[in-house]
Amino acid sequence: MNPTIKETQERIKKRELTPSDAVYSFLSRIRARNMETNAMLSVFEKAAGEITEIRRELPLFGSVFAIKDNILVKGEKCTAGSKILEHYVAPFDATVIEKIKEKGAVIIGKTNMDEFAMGSSTENSAFGPARNPHNLKKVPGGSSGGAAIGVADGMCNAALGSDTGGSIRQPAAFCGVVGMKPTYGTVSRSGVISMASSFDQVGPFAQTVEDAEIIFEAISGRDIKDSVTTDFLRKNRKSDKIRVGVPKEYFVKGIDQDIKEVIEKAISKIERKGIEVIEISLPHTEYALPTYEIIMASEVSANMARFDGMRYGMKIEKDVAKTIQDAYLENRGQGLGKEVKRRIILGTYTLSAGYYDAYYVKAQRVRSLIYKDMQDAFRQVDVLLTPTTPTLPFNIGEKIKDPLAMHLSDVFTVTANLAGLPAINLPCGKIKGLPVGAQVIAGRFREEILFAAAKKFEKIWQE
Amino acid sequence: MFIKKEITKLAFLSRIKLDKEAMEDIPEELESILNYIQKLTDINTEGVDPLFHFPELKNVVRIDKAFEESKEIKDKMMLMGKKKDGYLKVESIL
Repeated sequence: MNPTIKETQERIKKRELTPSDAVYSFLSRIRARNMETNAMLSVFEKAAGEITEIRRELPLFGSVFAIKDNILVKGEKCTAGSKILEHYVAPFDATVIEKIKEKGAVIIGKTNMDEFAMGSSTENSAFGPARNPHNLKKVPGGSSGGAAIGVADGMCNAALGSDTGGSIRQPAAFCGVVGMKPTYGTVSRSGVISMASSFDQVGPFAQTVEDAEIIFEAISGRDIKDSVTTDFLRKNRKSDKIRVGVPKEYFVKGIDQDIKEVIEKAISKIERKGIEVIEISLPHTEYALPTYEIIMASEVSANMARFDGMRYGMKIEKDVAKTIQDAYLENRGQGLGKEVKRRIILGTYTLSAGYYDAYYVKAQRVRSLIYKDMQDAFRQVDVLLTPTTPTLPFNIGEKIKDPLAMHLSDVFTVTANLAGLPAINLPCGKIKGLPVGAQVIAGRFREEILFAAAKKFEKIWQE
Repeated sequence: MFIKKEITKLAFLSRIKLDKEAMEDIPEELESILNYIQKLTDINTEGVDPLFHFPELKNVVRIDKAFEESKEIKDKMMLMGKKKDGYLKVESIL
């Protein structure tokens, strides 16, 4: 069993372990395993030497983190899995990095990802695909695949990733760890390379729900550098009872029969413990992914404009480009991967004059309906319980030629992004040695219910 | 179906040069995604407001004060290729 933050802290308190030893043991695990999984893009060999004092009162003291490579760590490379940023060195710390460092965490390295977080398998990395530690022929999920592997394979206590359409929860499901996307507006994105700004959130990967909650507490809060962040007042729950809703639309189309069986078994286990489970309906579920596709591509095309080789990114030799126009075309043509190019082109199309209303505005209207479905649902129940993914981890190379099939991996996760809701993946069973994940979703800013419910389920499913 | 000319125009608007392989694959891939998103035309959204942002969000203005950031700016400029007198030197535009 890989060590949790709590366990590492306990061992340090009992003087069985020093914080430097903890770092060294993770470093040796990385050395032993990274050749196989390709989880880490850079490793901070000097991390142990930088521990100057141990302040046991800090919530993250002694904990060792890996960080998705689209989150800036000052003085270290930050590639976002792209050739265009191969040599980019972060000039400052992202707010989430400042926060975990202040609270005692040590950072051990940066993790592999789909280029600019666009993908569901970590095969779209310019630095080679990552591999699932449960079966090296399978993908780890994505886009935060490396971060999920790091936690699943004992390379760190915990990790930070980013989730735009499922990029934390889906790889967490494929690798069998806890992965949480917070409410939109709770965690600062300052210093995080943007993908689709109305969806992006940073969140934790951890061994347990308890650890994920500790990390969430550490990284959330208002930040002047991300103007959608708010200081919300955490509500105290009046009762310990939780009412669970299971949306029937998640069990009909596109889901593998064996995943369905594992999830249904998990649901009946919690029912047997006296937790109330009711079936509910989210009528617009089948429109979530197409809505997401349009809005995401549109926002991607705008956000990616900055990678032009002038302000950021690689630069081609002067003699290739005669005009500035040519320079842009060459820099972006050579520096960006195919998935990224396709999404930029699609977004350029959906935002162009004549198509803007038919695609972009239409999608935002449907997004309203999806949001309303969710509001209605949370008037009846405290949390929703769904499968995280419709399939088990697939083979490397299996879906890379079929982008639509790849995007369907996110069919159960995008709704939480469209509606800005907090959601968490937790392992709930295995099929043929591969993990199956369940997703718990709560209302906006209701993280306290999300964690309370997830802890109950985790305990029941581990029995 | 996307014709090559349309893709060429979109790629140019996106400031992306497509190589031969991308030129062959991308039209077909875009086509399959566009067919999929056509699904949205099934829903009647008359009278539904677009959700451009979440209802709780408020307009945020920061205090009107210049921040002392010279060190940070210097750090950021370290990354840039050419610079002169505290400015970045870029390619000529015309």
